[in-house]
Amino acid sequence: MDWRDSLVKSCVYVVLLLALSTSALGADNPFGSGPEVIAEGHALFNKLCTVCHGVDGVAGDRGPAMAASRRYLRRTDEELFHAIQDGIPGSQMPPMGISEDDAWKIVVWIRSERAKAIDVHVEGDRQQGSEVFWGKADCGRCHVVRGRGGLLGPDLTNLGARMSLKQIREALTVEKPHPPFGFRPVTVKTKDGRTISGVSKNEHNFSLQMIGDDDRLHLFARDEIDEITYADKSLMPTDYNERLSAAEYQNLMAFLSCLSLRGRDSE
Amino acid sequence: MSKDTSGLVRALRLLIVTGMLSVGLSAGEVTYEQLLDPPPENWLTYGRTYDSQRHSPLDQVNKENVGQLAPAWIFPMPGARRLESVPIVVDGVMYVSQPNEVYALDARAGRRIWSWRREPARQRGNNRGVAVLGNLVYVSTPDAHLVALDARTGSMVWESKIASAEDGYSSPAAPFAIDGKIIAGTAGGDNGLNGWLDAFDATTGERLWRFHTIPHPGEPGNESWAGDSWKTGGGATWLSGSFDPELNLLYWGIGNPAPDFDGEPRRGDNLYTESVVAVDADNGKLRWHFQFTPHDLHDWDSVEIPILVDAPYEGKMRKLMVHADRNGFYYVLDRATGEFLHGTPFIDKLNWAAGLTEKGRPIRVPGVEPTLQGNFVCPSTSGATNWMSPAYNPATGMFYLAAKEGCGVSYKAKQEFRPGGFNYAATGYTESQEFPWQMFVRALNLTTGERKWEYKQVNSRAYGAGLVSTAGGLIFAGDDQGFFTALDAESGEPLWHFNTGTRISASPISYAVNGRQYLAVSSGVNVVAFALPPAAKD
Repeated sequence: MDWRDSLVKSCVYVVLLLALSTSALGADNPFGSGPEVIAEGHALFNKLCTVCHGVDGVAGDRGPAMAASRRYLRRTDEELFHAIQDGIPGSQMPPMGISEDDAWKIVVWIRSERAKAIDVHVEGDRQQGSEVFWGKADCGRCHVVRGRGGLLGPDLTNLGARMSLKQIREALTVEKPHPPFGFRPVTVKTKDGRTISGVSKNEHNFSLQMIGDDDRLHLFARDEIDEITYADKSLMPTDYNERLSAAEYQNLMAFLSCLSLRGRDSE
Repeated sequence: MSKDTSGLVRALRLLIVTGMLSVGLSAGEVTYEQLLDPPPENWLTYGRTYDSQRHSPLDQVNKENVGQLAPAWIFPMPGARRLESVPIVVDGVMYVSQPNEVYALDARAGRRIWSWRREPARQRGNNRGVAVLGNLVYVSTPDAHLVALDARTGSMVWESKIASAEDGYSSPAAPFAIDGKIIAGTAGGDNGLNGWLDAFDATTGERLWRFHTIPHPGEPGNESWAGDSWKTGGGATWLSGSFDPELNLLYWGIGNPAPDFDGEPRRGDNLYTESVVAVDADNGKLRWHFQFTPHDLHDWDSVEIPILVDAPYEGKMRKLMVHADRNGFYYVLDRATGEFLHGTPFIDKLNWAAGLTEKGRPIRVPGVEPTLQGNFVCPSTSGATNWMSPAYNPATGMFYLAAKEGCGVSYKAKQEFRPGGFNYAATGYTESQEFPWQMFVRALNLTTGERKWEYKQVNSRAYGAGLVSTAGGLIFAGDDQGFFTALDAESGEPLWHFNTGTRISASPISYAVNGRQYLAVSSGVNVVAFALPPAAKD
């Protein structure tokens, strides 16, 4: 074997030693999952894959998002690697014809995008975070964890396994332009004189289904309603990094990232 | 049998078909005269009539009794996912299709008479319906063939190749039958495959002429493409069109140029993409064209069906062609000459053009082109309207369409053309978070485009469901929530609705059998028909 092969081999050994690989990555990926590899994979993706998958893999009109909340058919490093190199028969995903190194780096980036909060180590005290959750932050007013809490917002029992750390952080601190479907705040005045506030679970021109702030289901035909007022913004506050002290916020993040129906991948 | 067979076989075919015809006009045989002026109880072409007005003269169902409309039958199509087929009804027989399959149903009972499947079904794709002429039913296939079936039994009589599926072509539109000819088109513009319109002999399947949507070197319009970019220019013909038998002109909307989002390789106006072309039905020669979006960068196919109406314009009777384009503008043209008469936006959120010149050319707003990071554009790529059919009601004089408000983010990246049907869009688009999409049914004044009313389809964000107008004073609309709704054509007030349970992604029709009027629409995996309960119709 010539000198280039041995040089590459020794670089690979060095990279392996330096990389902070977790057990979540497969054995065939020679690069580990360090931040440099993730960054290289990100750059490669944005050069080669946006045609169908959109910039940063947020979804294009021809290919799905790389890290959307859905079930994945291809989860392991190997499966992703083969999807890239061989294409996916019966779909529009072609064999990309790129080098194996480039393909592995893209795989590493995709996996990093998909990592859930529970797979990542988060500094903070979970127990204190729980006290913030049920106490000062008053999250239990609208959220349920293991059967305890209010119904106006989503159930958080499996939050850490469902969302990435970045998504959780954004939920607490970034205002979104519109409330998500199923959680739009609404106030209904009925023709028989009642006023009910809550969130709309579904609606159409002829019916409205909502959960009231009494935590009960209310179902209406439109002709039973006198007036509906919609709020444009979600009920979810997005200033927790200001309302809470730095320690309280960090502990809350530690608590939230561990909420899960399953254990960690590494446990 | 393929088209590439000997003259002897073709002669034999002709003998067999005319032999069938010579038994006498049997129930269900469709003549050209009937296509010109269909009996009220029949729905004989994609747009009901050649002018594509989608207006049924039936008035048994009207504003007073529509509240009693009820499901008459449901026919589930095996293996269907999201039907886009417009049914054709001939004397009580309904022909519906899905990719690679055609069904003939008893339109009164919703029961299958026959079905045909393409074997092998070599390719997946879309299918929007069939055409009928004589005793034949015509369908085009995902592998870009035109197939003629016996209307009484579903046996295949002939098939002809429109385009090569190996190159990546398909043919999703309902074929279009005129006198002795069947018109069919191609899809694949987003893959850089150039489009055309073919006319086939209705009896033998022999191709009679071809109109190329991207002009070749030496032909007028080729100079609107820099260098060799015309070779991968796109310009698909993926939907049906309209026909004026007096002028003998076919009016067809043409798809987008390729690469969709990157204009650098294809500088120039890129004719005849995103245009309407008026093509001589005898020989396929171009009589005139009008381009809605020159050198487009947002994939705004102009395949939206043009509606033909003879109406007064500024005091004079004129032969008009109206077209609500994906780019957000509603156009009124003279269909004899192609002269631009009027144009106005039919949506509120439009940021890519400040208006139209007096020739109808858009006045572009700079800074709305797709970029690598993504640029904000209203309407989005999926458009202010799309392939779902509009309708015209002669009593109200209004043009009705399914419109979409909302914006998108369009992205661009460099891409090489790759033959064989690989994507050549040079990226794509996503829905805007700030201005998510919202569907409306809107009624416009025919000649001014002024909005007369709108009906917001609550919770509806996706397009696909079209409209039908009836002489009962009603507009029927579907939506992506699965609702089939009757609106008062004058006011837009909803008078009746039914939850079909699955997303409606097709345009509805109306027909009658034995004096009973039906409304029918494809919804998800089902074809659903509605009628008044028997006692209520008097």
